[in-house]
Amino acid sequence: MEELIILLLVIVTALAFDFTNGFHDTANAMATSIATGALKPRVAVALSAVLNLVGAFLSIEVAKTVGSGIVDLDHAQGEQLMLIVFAGLIGGIIWNLLTWLLGLPSSSSHALFGGLIGAALIWGLVAGQSGVLWGGIIAKIILPALLSPVIAAIVAGVATWLVYRIARGVPEKTENRGFRWGQIGSASLVSLAHGTNDAQKTMGVIFLALIANGTLSSSSDMPLWVKVACALAIALGTYLGGWRIIRTLGKGLVEITPPQGMAAETSSAAIILTSSHLGLPLSTTHVATGSILGTGLGKRGAEVRWGVAGRMVAAWVITLPAAGLVGAACWGVGHVIGGLGGALVLFGILVALSAWIYLRSRRAPVSSENVNAEWDEPAATPAAPVSA
Amino acid sequence: MDLLGMLDSIWKVLAVGLLLGAGLPALFGLGLRLLGTVPAEGSSGAPVVASGFSRAFGYVCFGLCAAIALFGIVVIVFGNQLFGGH
Repeated sequence: MEELIILLLVIVTALAFDFTNGFHDTANAMATSIATGALKPRVAVALSAVLNLVGAFLSIEVAKTVGSGIVDLDHAQGEQLMLIVFAGLIGGIIWNLLTWLLGLPSSSSHALFGGLIGAALIWGLVAGQSGVLWGGIIAKIILPALLSPVIAAIVAGVATWLVYRIARGVPEKTENRGFRWGQIGSASLVSLAHGTNDAQKTMGVIFLALIANGTLSSSSDMPLWVKVACALAIALGTYLGGWRIIRTLGKGLVEITPPQGMAAETSSAAIILTSSHLGLPLSTTHVATGSILGTGLGKRGAEVRWGVAGRMVAAWVITLPAAGLVGAACWGVGHVIGGLGGALVLFGILVALSAWIYLRSRRAPVSSENVNAEWDEPAATPAAPVSA
Repeated sequence: MDLLGMLDSIWKVLAVGLLLGAGLPALFGLGLRLLGTVPAEGSSGAPVVASGFSRAFGYVCFGLCAAIALFGIVVIVFGNQLFGGH
């Protein structure tokens, strides 16, 4: 009975993470379309939610092993494994909520992995195992994180430059109207790709929890209810909107025009799709942000707010250690208290922190109403024009 | 994934990214231009509708864009079976 309650708490927490993953990433697909008016805010998040739902069900090969090559949990059994999963999830959720509060796009994948790494690290120390595969972390997390914004910026920069050269002479109204349609198409593609990629993470985590509980073994099939629950959770989160982050990406980084918006999202879609099929895990957030930055570089006279970019990069750099710290701390608390009591305390901490963050956010709320309001920060000097 | 394999994947991502990620918006822009109404040089600025030929090519461009986007969806759904990804 006790184990069942713990399992339920973990599953609820996993779905909560999936939910935060949803609203954190809406911006990646839709910020540019909302900023240019290609889509009304509520329509944009609704469209993205539906496509994420569809995408989540389309993910045919579901990764049953989350964190493989990054953490080594082979020697973690039962309650210990469950605690690692639980603590890792809490680390991921808290980081997602904090970055949401600050309106900073950050990788939900890294947040989850960071939490799991932190928990696995502490568990390893206590259990005398090596819970963490440092080589895998560098190869699968750090290297891609460094590369993806650069690749995205290059592709989107070239795309923007090409578009402005080719569409020279097209009257601005036609240009804007035409590219707004292009934006809708490309943003939809990104949402679809996101659904197929990201819902899987949480499916894998719940699968791991079910293994820890002894309900499933690693050779079992992914239960349908897990797929449905994760698909719904991420879609609902997407619909909620994450307006703070949409605002930062749409208005705070670069002032975006329709051609730039389409270039950014198409570039993101192409990179995300290609990399996921080559097995090179790139974060959707890093790619999308890099693309938007790239469009700022590719257009003459476009302004890039480097201060905002700097804050984002800083957040990205500390994601892994920060989430890791929370994960490790949670594992410690849960381990010391032990059993159901530990799980309930952790759940209580999660709820309390989440509530606090939410209340803080109400001080300066961002919604669909003001998501496109002018950004108050002084813009940096215009980026140097790309040589023709 | 070893370093060499990763570098191989990286340049592939960059190449395909440039081809499709930059190519598609460029194609779209071309379509708009072929379709567009541009005032003739030295005229009063009254818009001149592009020739039928030009417009036809414009629609071809948009058609290609849609085809590429559909290809993207096919890759999402069936990619593993088509390309033997993992």
